[in-house]
Amino acid sequence: MLNVSELTVDIQGSRILRGISLEVRAGELVCLLGRNGAGKTTTFRSLMGYLRPVSGRISWEDKDLARLSTWQIAQLGIGFSPEESEVYADLTVEENIELPTWTRTCGRPAAERISEAYRIFPKLERYRKRGGAELSGGERKMVSIARALALDAELLLLDEPFEGLSPAIIPLVAEGVAAIRQSGKAIVMAESNLHHVPDYIDKLVVIERGEIIYTGSLSGALGDVEVMKIIAGAVDAEPQT
Amino acid sequence: MQYANLFLAGLFQAAILFLVACGLQLIFGVQKVVNLACGSFYALGAFFAITAVGLLHQWQMPMIFLVPALVLSGVLVGTVGAPLELLLRPVYRRDPSYQLLLTFGLLLMFQDVFRFFWGAAPRSMDSSLYGIYGTIDISGLQIPVYNFLVIGASILIAMILGLSLKRTRIGRIVRATAENRNMTEALGVNSSKVFTMVFTLGCILGTVGGALVIPTSAASMTMAAELVVEAFAVVVIGGLGSMAGAAVGAIIVGLMRAFAVSLAPEVEILSIYLVVVVVLLIRPVGLFGRSAS
Ligand SMILES: Nc1ncnc2c1ncn2[C@@H]1O[C@H](COP(=O)(O)OP(=O)(O)O)[C@@H](O)[C@H]1O
Ligand SMILES: [Mg+2]
Repeated sequence: MLNVSELTVDIQGSRILRGISLEVRAGELVCLLGRNGAGKTTTFRSLMGYLRPVSGRISWEDKDLARLSTWQIAQLGIGFSPEESEVYADLTVEENIELPTWTRTCGRPAAERISEAYRIFPKLERYRKRGGAELSGGERKMVSIARALALDAELLLLDEPFEGLSPAIIPLVAEGVAAIRQSGKAIVMAESNLHHVPDYIDKLVVIERGEIIYTGSLSGALGDVEVMKIIAGAVDAEPQT
Repeated sequence: MQYANLFLAGLFQAAILFLVACGLQLIFGVQKVVNLACGSFYALGAFFAITAVGLLHQWQMPMIFLVPALVLSGVLVGTVGAPLELLLRPVYRRDPSYQLLLTFGLLLMFQDVFRFFWGAAPRSMDSSLYGIYGTIDISGLQIPVYNFLVIGASILIAMILGLSLKRTRIGRIVRATAENRNMTEALGVNSSKVFTMVFTLGCILGTVGGALVIPTSAASMTMAAELVVEAFAVVVIGGLGSMAGAAVGAIIVGLMRAFAVSLAPEVEILSIYLVVVVVLLIRPVGLFGRSAS
């Protein structure tokens, strides 16, 4: 479905991604794991057309995404929930979630998409009329993911969905991610903390300094000394318990 | 009752100023461009309206259609905003000084456009038209009904605009684009289209304002620059980007101007800018502005 090959991206003259290759099949949950600054957000921003690659290909079905603008990529059915959630403060929760049903009218009926979003994040039901500025970090994260879902995307890019959330709310977001996956959508989830990687992922991709250093199963990575050295660093950065 | 007269004259000024300032606010709110050329759109609306009213005469249309004809001519000529928006595209993501230079360039170019099409001398239309809708007697003073129609039209436009932004889908998309253009793109919105639409609407507000002023005063080469000065006072007093601010700012500036012109004409602009200075000292973001956070 999504095929990234040898993707190289510069930001302001410095090389951030160095020939990244990545494949996502329909319905797959892929985790892109890497330390802070490894290049996860840059990868997502390149996939969404915010950054133009220096070289390499990004293909979606048989289209070349690297030539399209962000809105065209969204129209093809790729949903994005950014690291900072980016929920509109000026719109209510309801308006935030419904907006993509107005802009992308192909696919399933709007009502179905909206009710699916609330089914996956039932907590949001109570906040429908609340303004985007009056939400906690966890609620914003849920709105952001629900909104990407309401685009009726076939692939969701979730940038660090658990980052900065309180321990009480992490399970709610995790359940949401699991439910989205159950519904058959493909997900690429960026994560910097090994502890947050769900054990049911289909594929783990480890990124380090703009390069992919591992692609395979989670258990395979846990048994790989070289890979563990790097991702366990992310674990070590957490307070020891 | 001289004051009642001045008050109504001030409200009339405010109604016109509000339309132009509203366009300025809309364009700034969404595109983050301070459109110095707003005065040119106002003047363009005025010059074009004179031509339009001439046609109305020529076609022997009943002059009862004056207000609709003026609004329509403003809307028509305001659509030049759409191609002009293309000129701004290269500077959206650049330093605001480029945007100011470019819109200032537009302001200068428009002066030549006016000279070319309408000549350098002030142009006005048949002054009897001002009284075409009759007058209303307010404590012995004859106030043209036209003034009330313009004040009413301005309030109506404000309400329609406010409600559309608040309640319609396109209005919500415009507000979302204003808040976070990049995110809106990721939700499938072609924000270039939104920009073209908003800029055109902003221009139309200016041209309609210019068209409506024309029964009361002449269209001249200096009106663009004069209006920029007042519109900026409105926006600074009300707060950059705020529609409510545009309304309150327009009323303050409109009333100040009307009273100053009659009571102390030599300090007309000074008095307006005194208010600006006071607002800037007490509340630098303007009465309705949001402080940057
Ligand atoms: N706008 C930018 N300007 C300069 N450097 C940037 C910019 N954005 C990201 N970088 C650099 O790119 C690298 C990768 O960043 P990022 O993709 O955000 O990492 P991650 O999401 O994995 O934490 C970092 O070294 C960061 O400093
Ligand atoms: Mg990141």
